[in-house]
Amino acid sequence: MKIGPEEVRRIAELAEIAVSEDELPALVQQLDRIVGYVAQLDSVTADNQVVAFVPGPQHSALREDVVRPTPLEPPPAAMAPAWREGYFTVPRLSAMEDA
Amino acid sequence: MTSRTPFDLAAEVGARLQAADDRGLNASLHWSEDLLKAEAERLVARVDPGVLAGMPVAVKDNFVTRDAPTTCGSRILKGYVSPFEATSVSRLREAGAMIVAKTNLDEFAMGSSTEHSAYGRVQHPLDPERVPGGSSGGSAALVAAGVVPAALGSETGGSVRQPASFCGIVGVKPSYGRVSRYGLVAFGSSLDCVSVFGQTVDEAARVLSVISGHDANDATSVEEPPMDVPLRPSSLEGVTVGLPREYLPPDLDPGVRAGIDKAVEALRRLGATVVEVSLPHTKYAVPTYYIIAPAEASANLARYDGVRFGPKLSDEASDLRGLYRTTRGTGFGPEVRRRILIGTYVLSAGYYEAYYGKAQRIRAHIARDFTTVFEGGVDVLFTPTTPTTAFRAGEKTEDPVAMYLADIFTCPANLAGLPGVSLPIGRSDGLPIGGQLLAPYFQEVPMLGVAGALEAVIDPVAEVR
Repeated sequence: MKIGPEEVRRIAELAEIAVSEDELPALVQQLDRIVGYVAQLDSVTADNQVVAFVPGPQHSALREDVVRPTPLEPPPAAMAPAWREGYFTVPRLSAMEDA
Repeated sequence: MTSRTPFDLAAEVGARLQAADDRGLNASLHWSEDLLKAEAERLVARVDPGVLAGMPVAVKDNFVTRDAPTTCGSRILKGYVSPFEATSVSRLREAGAMIVAKTNLDEFAMGSSTEHSAYGRVQHPLDPERVPGGSSGGSAALVAAGVVPAALGSETGGSVRQPASFCGIVGVKPSYGRVSRYGLVAFGSSLDCVSVFGQTVDEAARVLSVISGHDANDATSVEEPPMDVPLRPSSLEGVTVGLPREYLPPDLDPGVRAGIDKAVEALRRLGATVVEVSLPHTKYAVPTYYIIAPAEASANLARYDGVRFGPKLSDEASDLRGLYRTTRGTGFGPEVRRRILIGTYVLSAGYYEAYYGKAQRIRAHIARDFTTVFEGGVDVLFTPTTPTTAFRAGEKTEDPVAMYLADIFTCPANLAGLPGVSLPIGRSDGLPIGGQLLAPYFQEVPMLGVAGALEAVIDPVAEVR
């Protein structure tokens, strides 16, 4: 799979990362190199029956289901860049609604 | 026990941190006389000095702490102070360690040279023109420069063993699940491991013992008690050491090869049986890693958007998506952006199975290679930690794949969740060579025993050719 400028613009939009036209050529070249490198796995015969490997314990250790005080001592308002009447304030959502 | 007071220790380490800053190592991101004094006061107030009894420990700046900022080497987290503390840092403090500095790193731990920090590159302590390795290069440089005897780092693909090798110190990556990841800023959640640097195997093992053990705040931490501190055996009679042929290719750097040959001779002299083995899927480890790690990173780093985490880096964005894109576009550095984009690509509709699904299955094959060798009677594997000694700054920054290949001998253990240790085994043209031991899951104690035995009989600063 060859990575071109259109593909990079599409990925950047999915990743919510602004990429300027000036930096696009170098990024296209680097991402194409990386994708070309990892594509060598195409040649490997991996058994489709193999279960994906996950390291660590076979089951998650669950805590007791009891209400405990939150360890976050500073209230959210102290960490928020903008806060009004108990809510974080952010820019308008219009573009999200249009998408 | 030392007769010096915690205030004496704090003053001494402060002087060494200042000297490291003055010589331009750029290894520390946050330390201050006030914080050192506060740590000394905390230790003075204790009745029991603890098993680490005033040991100064530096911590990579991707462990959250409440008394200093946690930037992850990124502009996007500049000035961020966490409301809670990482379990491993809290356990160090409880054991009597003094947390003395937060250390520089490749941004969000993505890199193999500590050149990808928003706060400047870290210098190699022996040669300022070279890199200390990465991503935990700041922690490695402080230990190698003698500023601290031990430091915390983190591994996703070799970010402690590789810089330990470059800097001539000990670096231990435990089994996945041995140490709680609570408070370690997430990069690749199925790979990330809290790991340890020490000037010696014993120092690294003592620190690892303190931070290990189950933590209810991390569902992937295994319900096991803390690791015992291993004793150093005087003989390796009865121990079988495997040499995987895929880690000793004909084009291996001749100095590294000579170091490995000398260390293998030493293992034999100690009584170990050395056998050649094969791990046939090794060559696929780097491409597998560079699908899985960026995929997990792209999900983990979605939270840095200028709203949930990170400053709002644009006053001009008129809507929320514009704010996200401008903040993330300007707040992340080039390597982090590359990895998020690659991760987004391999997880996107139409490509998921071809890349991520395939990589997950090959990961299982890589893990099975190790299981087969260990079940065949091999107790530990011995390999070079890195294909070369420390490279020059700027040598690999323009070619990301060349940089990724620096992890070729370390990332298989991360994919398989296995423990590994790098220890210095000699020098080539004045630069340290690292030898790596890998062991079965949760077999850190015998692995560190072999490392300690080898350390005792090998001169880590002798030229090997």
